[in-house]
Amino acid sequence: MKIIICIKQVPGTNEVKMDPITNTIIRENVEAIINPFDLYAIEEAVRIKEKTGSFVYGLSMGIPDATEMLREAISLRVDKGILMTDRKFAGADTLATSYALSKGIEKIGEYDLIICGKQATDGDTAQVGPSLANTLGIAYATDISKILEIKHNKMSCLKITDDGYEEISVLLPALITVVKEINMPRLPSIKSMKTAKKAEIEIVTFEEINADENRAGLKGSPTQVRKTFVPVHNVNNEMIEGTSEEKAQKLSEILLNLRTDVN
Amino acid sequence: MDENEFAKIYGEYLRDESRQVGNAESIVFPKSEAEIISSVKEMFEKNIQITTQGARTGLAASAVPHNGHIINLSKMNKVTGARYDEKADRFFLTVQPGVLLSELRKYLANKSFIVHEWDDKSINAINYMEKAQWFYSTDPTETSASMGGIASCNASGAKSYRYGSARDHITGLRIVLADGDVLSIKRGQFIADDNIFSLITESGRVIKGELPKYKMPDVKKNTSGYFNMPGMDMIDLFIGSDGTLGIISEIEIELNKTQEVNWGVTIFMPDEDSAVDLVRALRHEIIIDNIDLQLNPSAIEFFSHNALNMLKNQQATNSAFSNIQEFKDSYHTAVYIEIESDSNDEVWAEIEKLGDIINALSGDEDNTWVAYNTINLEKLHDFRHACPECVNMQIDSIKKTDNRITKLGTDMSVPDNKLKDAMKMYNEGIEENNLNAVIFGHIGNNHLHVNIIPQNMDEYEKGKELFLIWAEKVAAMGGAVSAEHGVGKLKVPFLKKMYNKEEINEMRKLKKIFDSAQILNRGTIFEFEEDEK
Repeated sequence: MKIIICIKQVPGTNEVKMDPITNTIIRENVEAIINPFDLYAIEEAVRIKEKTGSFVYGLSMGIPDATEMLREAISLRVDKGILMTDRKFAGADTLATSYALSKGIEKIGEYDLIICGKQATDGDTAQVGPSLANTLGIAYATDISKILEIKHNKMSCLKITDDGYEEISVLLPALITVVKEINMPRLPSIKSMKTAKKAEIEIVTFEEINADENRAGLKGSPTQVRKTFVPVHNVNNEMIEGTSEEKAQKLSEILLNLRTDVN
Repeated sequence: MDENEFAKIYGEYLRDESRQVGNAESIVFPKSEAEIISSVKEMFEKNIQITTQGARTGLAASAVPHNGHIINLSKMNKVTGARYDEKADRFFLTVQPGVLLSELRKYLANKSFIVHEWDDKSINAINYMEKAQWFYSTDPTETSASMGGIASCNASGAKSYRYGSARDHITGLRIVLADGDVLSIKRGQFIADDNIFSLITESGRVIKGELPKYKMPDVKKNTSGYFNMPGMDMIDLFIGSDGTLGIISEIEIELNKTQEVNWGVTIFMPDEDSAVDLVRALRHEIIIDNIDLQLNPSAIEFFSHNALNMLKNQQATNSAFSNIQEFKDSYHTAVYIEIESDSNDEVWAEIEKLGDIINALSGDEDNTWVAYNTINLEKLHDFRHACPECVNMQIDSIKKTDNRITKLGTDMSVPDNKLKDAMKMYNEGIEENNLNAVIFGHIGNNHLHVNIIPQNMDEYEKGKELFLIWAEKVAAMGGAVSAEHGVGKLKVPFLKKMYNKEEINEMRKLKKIFDSAQILNRGTIFEFEEDEK
């Protein structure tokens, strides 16, 4: 089998700081990490590889620095890293990103399975996976929490839903997006890091994929971000002090007052 | 107040993390040094004994009262000032004893302090903080420990391998003595003339005395009884004195600069011997395959085979531990190291060599976890912290069947060349007595926590006896019966294995110089004179 993982680099923090003037994310002094959901995608692919002897590609579109992130993916036992980097890819929304990734995948050639994380922790759209499958014209299933069986050209898996699980079968080649319930990603080892340090990351430019300029980057993005901001949390903490009894007394007074407020 | 009535209202203040329960008749929560003084003076006049408490996270029962009055310092929780020595590029903070380690870390991470009561000099000093990130290196696992408690038991933690214990980072103390007089000591201010010391209190009283003759063990970590050495800095006497000489009302601590790069590596070895050899290679005691390892870890930690098994069982059966990192059944014993540096490349060059050493010691460099970002480092920390948590949970559940059973954890350290002997002693003792025990902790300093998990009262008693035997053997190896938790009340019998009656008496004599009526933390470190028959 040939498996392709789509990987995105995201800021490694929950407290995103925004530049108030340009409305963009301040990325200085913020650690860049592999999108946490993509780690589950990597781990699942590597587990299939260990069972069936597959080859795993890690594909990303991003700035040149993302080569280090792909190296990290290799330290997590991905076989080959490919980075699509070009100014013409910049400013892409989810549609233009899906288009560009589909062209990158075309360049790789034949494949059996594409695995994406459920969503990226910075954009939170969960659109790129399904949109990529549509662009490629293949079957897809989202929110997969378990792969049950891969036999011949058919894969059965469990999809997590609000009410429970759905068992789904897809014909390969297909794309799935995975949730964190699917596995526990492993950590790099000294040996796998040694392999990763020596690995060649393939760089793919816009020219090489024979893409339509009107469908890539900012030009190919119908979504325009008008404003981004960090929501303000107005939480006032009050410490209750005293002996256990005093604290309980004060707490009950506060709770009773809350009820009056509602009434 | 009557003891029973007191226990009903203030029950939580009769206990600490040692799970021992005491009794008392009164308690105060001073908010200033003046309030400590007035409470101490009152008790001094009435000859009522005083137990001092911080956050009650201690494991040796120092804060468990044995009758009398409690002075609880949890409300003295302010950082009161800062000092920057520009010439030496050294940074100091003054804290009240009730400040929690977790609070201090938060202040430092955010570089944000409540300064409205600070003098201009302190506020000015804070401006220098902007240039670098500073941290406090003493890192006991329990971050809700108080700074007063940390000073009182000379706490340390994993990073003590590189940074030493609390003692090495305390540069000033204010101490309220048993009669309400105050001693203010800066490091370097009062140095003993051989074994004669002389201190001056704030009221101008001169306290003169002679230091004991006993010799402390030659180990890297020790908090067994009073610090004692000819020509010593007298501030060191009060650090680690478990609240028996006075009540700490203010502490000046020195901070360290944070290095930009922080890595963690967990290494799984095929057996205990190869794990110990790896530790020795990391300490540069042995050279493997002519590999010139320059690595200087800030922490070297250990997980025994049983500790890993315990984690594996809990992982499978207890949802609270289902998130700790999975590991293969074949992993036998683990060593965890942490590395701080200014350069990722430098660290990596050493890690590569470390991989070769692991292979040469019949390990496999693939059986390792490397963490070089915050998220993964946290995973390794969680794995390390899961050990004591697992033990505590198991003890709590056994306690439900018999509430006399408490935690049985050792805190002994031995000299470098006795590490293998000590491990052999622990393993044989556990096996001979057929006990369930896990070993983990600070192997870099030959300081392992052996935790016996007794299944019933019989095993509990067996474990306690075994601890006494170990204390005696450790003392004979030139080790310390308490390395970081303090002697408190629990380990009084252990200290007697390390020092003879005369030497313990010397400690008592020293206490009496500062606390003639022996009202402070009576029964801590050694028994009250009249109690000992």
